Amino acid sequence: MKPFLALVKRDLTLGLRRKSQIYQPLVFQLLVVTMFPLGLGSGAKTLALIAPAVIWILALLASLLTLDQIFKNDYDDGSVESYVLSSSPLSMAVLAKVLAHWLLSGLPLVIFAPVLGVLLHLPTASYPILMLSLLIGTPIFSFIGSIGSALTMSLKHGGLLLTVLVMPLLSPVLIFGAGAVVESALGNSASQHLMLLSGLLVLSFTLVPFAAAAAIKINLE
Amino acid sequence: MSIIIATELSCQRGQFDLFRPVTFELNHGQSLLISGPNGIGKTTLLESIAGLRAISQGELVYQNIELSKNKDKWFDDSFFIGHKTGNKKELNCLENLSLFLQIQGIDISQDQAEEALEKVGLGGYEYQFAGSLSAGQKKRLALARLLLIKHPVWILDEPFVNLDVAGCEWLLGVLNNHLDNNGILIITAHDNQSIRERTTQELILEMAQ
Repeated sequence: MKPFLALVKRDLTLGLRRKSQIYQPLVFQLLVVTMFPLGLGSGAKTLALIAPAVIWILALLASLLTLDQIFKNDYDDGSVESYVLSSSPLSMAVLAKVLAHWLLSGLPLVIFAPVLGVLLHLPTASYPILMLSLLIGTPIFSFIGSIGSALTMSLKHGGLLLTVLVMPLLSPVLIFGAGAVVESALGNSASQHLMLLSGLLVLSFTLVPFAAAAAIKINLE
Repeated sequence: MSIIIATELSCQRGQFDLFRPVTFELNHGQSLLISGPNGIGKTTLLESIAGLRAISQGELVYQNIELSKNKDKWFDDSFFIGHKTGNKKELNCLENLSLFLQIQGIDISQDQAEEALEKVGLGGYEYQFAGSLSAGQKKRLALARLLLIKHPVWILDEPFVNLDVAGCEWLLGVLNNHLDNNGILIITAHDNQSIRERTTQELILEMAQ
């Protein structure tokens, strides 16, 4: 357990010193969301209609901005080698990396979501479901992203490849996440969508550490 | 029976063999210097021995068990420092040293880390970011780990690079001490006569046919 905590602590310290990993996704979201009223040119009703989809797509795109960093820096400076050679399992290191990435890049998106909701006239009643769905959904971005990052870490410009690899895998998350918010905006129960989303989270929690560990080993060969 | 036995070991890059298969045996207190021209595959061989890459041909046995079946024990007992040191430029020396070892499952106290930095010549630099160190100091920061570990097998890739004369002498002392304490050392080094005299075996890699 100690190596796990040490790795999380190190990554959080690094993230708080680099800062860009935290504020870049938020600034990106804010800039894009302000373009929607300008581009659409129509009133609050249309905005409220598209708000769930826009917020969820922005969360997805904002996550993609930082996903390649999960293992890229560590590969460049040799830290990845130390995870492989460590006596604790490589999958635990993956889990620690994912947790740290989510705390730095995913959690801020969840907290920031109501601001986007206000800008897009999302019905107030949907805010709890919006935040809850993002709370379940954004860790899945970090999980699946870690596989993509492990596969592309040795490439100089692997960002686009990572997006192509990861996007299709993340589309169910988008469907159920945005779906939950749409249902709640219509006054229906969102529990069905949220449960499916939770299922995806459990699935990625159990499978991804092994998949990403295998991807790291392939990449070092 | 030797602790480490390598038979007809060879490494590939793509589909090509890098060097002629090598065979060696190592026991407690013994050391192996791997040399050869640039690009022959010294680093690849070291990384394969350390367990970072698969061995494409031949057999490596540690304590009578084939390495691929004995990985946990091997990772517990061996310590590798390569060209890429794993230090983060946004962390200070103290954080780099202690967090790196903690991530590897080695528990050390703040005092131990400070003492090691002092010994390695980085006293006074404890709270300096690693990014602002010179190349030689970065190397010293990585080598400070050697003072805090108890692994019997050390695998070092060009540890003398970037070190000044005093640094080389210090490192030589540390390696001597390790070997005197029945440690095992596998090392690559260019143009270092002192280490050549100290090591018990030298392996010169030759081009594969």
